Amino acid sequence: MDGLILGLDLCDAYTQLVCGEEEKSWTLPTVICKKKTEDLWLVGEPAYASALAGDGVMVDKLVKLVRKDGTATIGGVKYGGRQLMVQFLIQVLAMAREACHTDHIRQLVIAVPVIETRLLDCLLGCGDYLNIAGKDIHVISHTEGFMYYVLSQKREVWNNQVGMFDLSADSLCYYEMRVQRGLRQSTVLAERERLEESFSLDVLNSGAGARIADRILCSCGSRLLQKKLFSSIFLTGKGFESLDWAREFMKLICNRRKVYAENTLFAQGAMYRAADFLREKSAYPFICICEGRLESSVTMKVLSRDQENQLILARPGDAWYEAATEVDVILDHQDYLEFMIASMDGKKKKNVRMVLEGFPKREEKTLRVRIRLDFPDDRTMAVTVEDQGFGEFFPPSGAVMRQEVML
Amino acid sequence: MSVIVCRQKRAANPYYIEGLGINIYSAQELCYAVYHHPLLFTDGFVDGELLEFVREELGMGFAAARLEQRQKSGDRSEELLFQLMQECDYYTTVELNRLRQTFAALKKLPPLEYAKEKADYLAEYKQYGKAIAGYEEILEAADEKKDIQVTKRIWNNLGACYARIFRFRKAMDAYDKACKGEKDVKILEKMYYLTCLDSSVGLKEPYRSMVSEEMKQGWDKEFQTAQVRAEESAGLKKLQTLFGEDSVRRMEGAGRQVEEWKQEYRSMA
Repeated sequence: MDGLILGLDLCDAYTQLVCGEEEKSWTLPTVICKKKTEDLWLVGEPAYASALAGDGVMVDKLVKLVRKDGTATIGGVKYGGRQLMVQFLIQVLAMAREACHTDHIRQLVIAVPVIETRLLDCLLGCGDYLNIAGKDIHVISHTEGFMYYVLSQKREVWNNQVGMFDLSADSLCYYEMRVQRGLRQSTVLAERERLEESFSLDVLNSGAGARIADRILCSCGSRLLQKKLFSSIFLTGKGFESLDWAREFMKLICNRRKVYAENTLFAQGAMYRAADFLREKSAYPFICICEGRLESSVTMKVLSRDQENQLILARPGDAWYEAATEVDVILDHQDYLEFMIASMDGKKKKNVRMVLEGFPKREEKTLRVRIRLDFPDDRTMAVTVEDQGFGEFFPPSGAVMRQEVML
Repeated sequence: MSVIVCRQKRAANPYYIEGLGINIYSAQELCYAVYHHPLLFTDGFVDGELLEFVREELGMGFAAARLEQRQKSGDRSEELLFQLMQECDYYTTVELNRLRQTFAALKKLPPLEYAKEKADYLAEYKQYGKAIAGYEEILEAADEKKDIQVTKRIWNNLGACYARIFRFRKAMDAYDKACKGEKDVKILEKMYYLTCLDSSVGLKEPYRSMVSEEMKQGWDKEFQTAQVRAEESAGLKKLQTLFGEDSVRRMEGAGRQVEEWKQEYRSMA
C-alpha cells in the first residue's frame, strides 16, 4: 500500500524526521519563520537564514510554547503556540512528501521528551491540517522511542540490560531498559533519568571544557553502570555527534560492552512504532512499561454465566492517553461500583469503591449505567458514571458522577 | 451482589411488546419483561420477527441462528424463550429456574382461569383493548349456567375496562349483565358513577329503584371528592402551567401533550 510511514522526534532544540520505507531522514532546528513581505513560512536552517537576513520573524522553542499555551506575535498578528506548531509540522512533513513523491501518510508517530496533556492535545488534534486521519497519528515518549528502537535490533543487543546516554543542548539524560521474561508474555521496562550534571555543549569547543565534560560523563557512567550487566550502551544526541572529546568515557563504557552511537534514534524508534501500528499483530509481543504507558491494570468484578469474572478496563502497558474505555453495566443488588487497581507484579493492589450517590433507587437489575474511564495522566484515572435508564421501563434520570483516582 | 456487563448492543429499531405496549431496546429489557410479566409470554413468543430483532438489532447472530435451528427441529416456543434468556446472560440459572416454575404453575391453571388471569393482567397494565378481547373470548367459551360466578366477575371486569376507555354505554351493559337484575351494591355504585360521567347514560330498571336516597348522597359525595382530587392532580397542574406559558410554547406543549394522549389511548384501546 502506498504511503509514508513516518517517525518524528520533536524537541525544543531540534526535530528529526525519519521516513520508513524510503530510509530517508531530516534533522532541523525546531524553529519557524514567517517572511515579512509574503505569506510564506520557513522552518529549520532557512528560517534562521531568513531571520538573520532580516526579512522574516522567527519563533523558536515551539514545544515549550505549546506546553505553556503561549503566543507569539509575527507581523502584528498574534499566533497561538498550537497554530505555530501546526504550521511547523506542515512544513516538516512537506519535506518528506516532496522527497518521496507522495502526499499520503499512512502513519505518523511523534516522539517527545515528556508527554504532557496540552502538547498531546495539540499533536493529536492536528490531523486535519496535516491531511492525516486522526487515528493515524500517535505520540510516544522518548523512552518509548528508545525502547522500540532497541527492540528492533538483534536480540543480542537487548538480551540483558540496555543503557543509553542522550546528550543534547539542553539536557543530559540516561535511559535504561530491561526485559523481564515471563511464562506467557515478557515485559519490557524502560526508564529515563534526567541527570543534574548536564552542561552546555559550547564547553566542548575548548580543550579544557571538553576534558571537564569527559570527566563529568565518566562520573555519571561509573555511577549508573556499575555492577550491572549490560548487553549494549547507546549514545545519542547532538553532544555525541563527535566522540573525540569523550575518550575516557568511551573507554569506560566500551569495557565488556557493545556501544552504538545513533543520532536519529528517537525518530527511528517512532518510525518502528508507526510501522507496528499498521500490523494486524504486533511484532513486539511484549508488555511495554515506560513513560506514557500505564503501570497498573484496572479491573472490575462482573458476573457472567453464573460465574464471577474480572472485566479488564485497562491493562499495564496501554498508552494512558489512548486507554479511554466505555462500558455499560447493570447493578444487581448493589449501589456502588468497585474497581481493582493492581500493579503489574501484583504487589500493589487497591480497591476503589464508588458509591452511586444521587442515582435513582430502582428495582433490582434495572440500574444501567455507562462507565467511562480515561486517564488525564499516567498516575490518575478519571471515572465517569452516567445513568442510562432501562429502556421505556425506567427512563434515564440524568444522574452523573465523576471521580478521579490516583493509580 | 454483582455487576452485569451489557455486551449486546442497544437496538436502533426497538421491538414492540404488544401485551405491555412497550418498546424494547436491549436484551436485558427483553429478559426483564419476560421475567416480570410471565403471563404475557407463556403462549409462545419466539417467532421470526423476534429472531430478526435478536440478530439484527441486538447483534446476537449466533444466538439467533441456534434458536432458528431449534425452532426448525420443532422445539417448544417456551424452551426457545429460555434458551434466548440464557444467551442474554441477564438472569442467573437460579433465577431462570424460578421463572420456569412460574411458567409451569401458570400452565397448570384450568384454561378458563388462565385466560382470565391473562386478561386481568392486561387490564392491570392498561391494555384495555386486549383485555376486553380476552374477556369476550372467555365469555364465548364459558358455560354461563355452569360458571355463574366466573362469568359475573368477567362481566364486571369487562365493564371496568369499557369505562376506562370512555365507552360508558358498553360499560353499563356489561355491569348490567354482571348483576343480572339482582342487587349488587358494589356494581350498582359503579353504574351510578357512569351516569355521573355521562348524562346520556341512565340507570335502567330495576336498578334505579334499588338505589336509595341515602346511597345516592353517599356516592355523590364520593364522586365530588374524586373530582376535587382530580383537580389537584399533578397532570392537571402541569397543564395549567403549560397554559400560563407564551403562545408559542403553549402550542408546542399542547401538541406534545395531545400526541402523548393519543399514543396512550391507542395503546389502551
